[in-house]
Amino acid sequence: MQIELALFAHLTSYLPPAGADDGPGSSHARPMDLPDGTTVGQVIARLDLPVGPRIVFVNGRHAPDSHSLANGDRLAIFPPVAGG
Amino acid sequence: MPYPTHPVPAPDEYAALRARLGSSRVGVIGLGGLGSNVAWMLARAGVGTLVLADHDVVDASNLERQFYFADQVGREKTAALTDNLRRITAEIRLECFQAHIDQSNISRIFEGVDVLVEAVDSAGDKAMIVAAASEQLPGVPIVAASGIAGYGSPNDIITRHLMGDVWMVGDLVSEVSAEHPLFASRVAIAAGHQAHMTVRLLLGYPQA
Repeated sequence: MQIELALFAHLTSYLPPAGADDGPGSSHARPMDLPDGTTVGQVIARLDLPVGPRIVFVNGRHAPDSHSLANGDRLAIFPPVAGG
Repeated sequence: MPYPTHPVPAPDEYAALRARLGSSRVGVIGLGGLGSNVAWMLARAGVGTLVLADHDVVDASNLERQFYFADQVGREKTAALTDNLRRITAEIRLECFQAHIDQSNISRIFEGVDVLVEAVDSAGDKAMIVAAASEQLPGVPIVAASGIAGYGSPNDIITRHLMGDVWMVGDLVSEVSAEHPLFASRVAIAAGHQAHMTVRLLLGYPQA
């Protein structure tokens, strides 16, 4: 299956390299091929994202690490920083 | 068309816009540098009801950037801010909760708000609040902030539609630290972004 992966702020450096067929796309989003049933937590582990608070959305709604992704899903991960 | 997202209201439309804001209800979580300043901006803009939540009391160090006064040090922020907002407008309706907001109380306290402003300090709390609001208050726009510390350019603070119902204000990376403290001016810029995005959402203009 294929999902769209969007990473924000300092996480953009963890995006997988763009494929030749991906087109210009977005600077913070890429298509990503994954085995069926891969969970959000497995994607985070596979990308080796740094430990820290994350806002994780799938198709515009919060999703826990245990959420199983489906073909065509959009996974977006944002790392908030302190200050308020 | 120079201002495609900013239709200028005719004079007779301005009253209708104020009326729309007057019938609106906005939640603010965290009444520090962001939230206390967002609150007075929304009060002056004519928002009718504010639901305000914070667990803290006013500290002398807060006076560097937060909307409190020296004679309010030691008071609960919800009570001090109530007094200050009422001095701006006696008409505003205020619902105050002296509480730490988390998954256990967010839906009970903020049920029915038109927009929710995330204005807390810690990164973990920001992530928790956005997640809880997304799960328990579906469809409510969340105006959050991340990356407001230090003396970096004012123009790096922007508002963006991040994902789903989440709008994010800040430069996304400037974390508060000993080397990057919070400055009243840059915090106020971010608070202004949050307040104005809230006004735009209330008026039906979701584009950042």
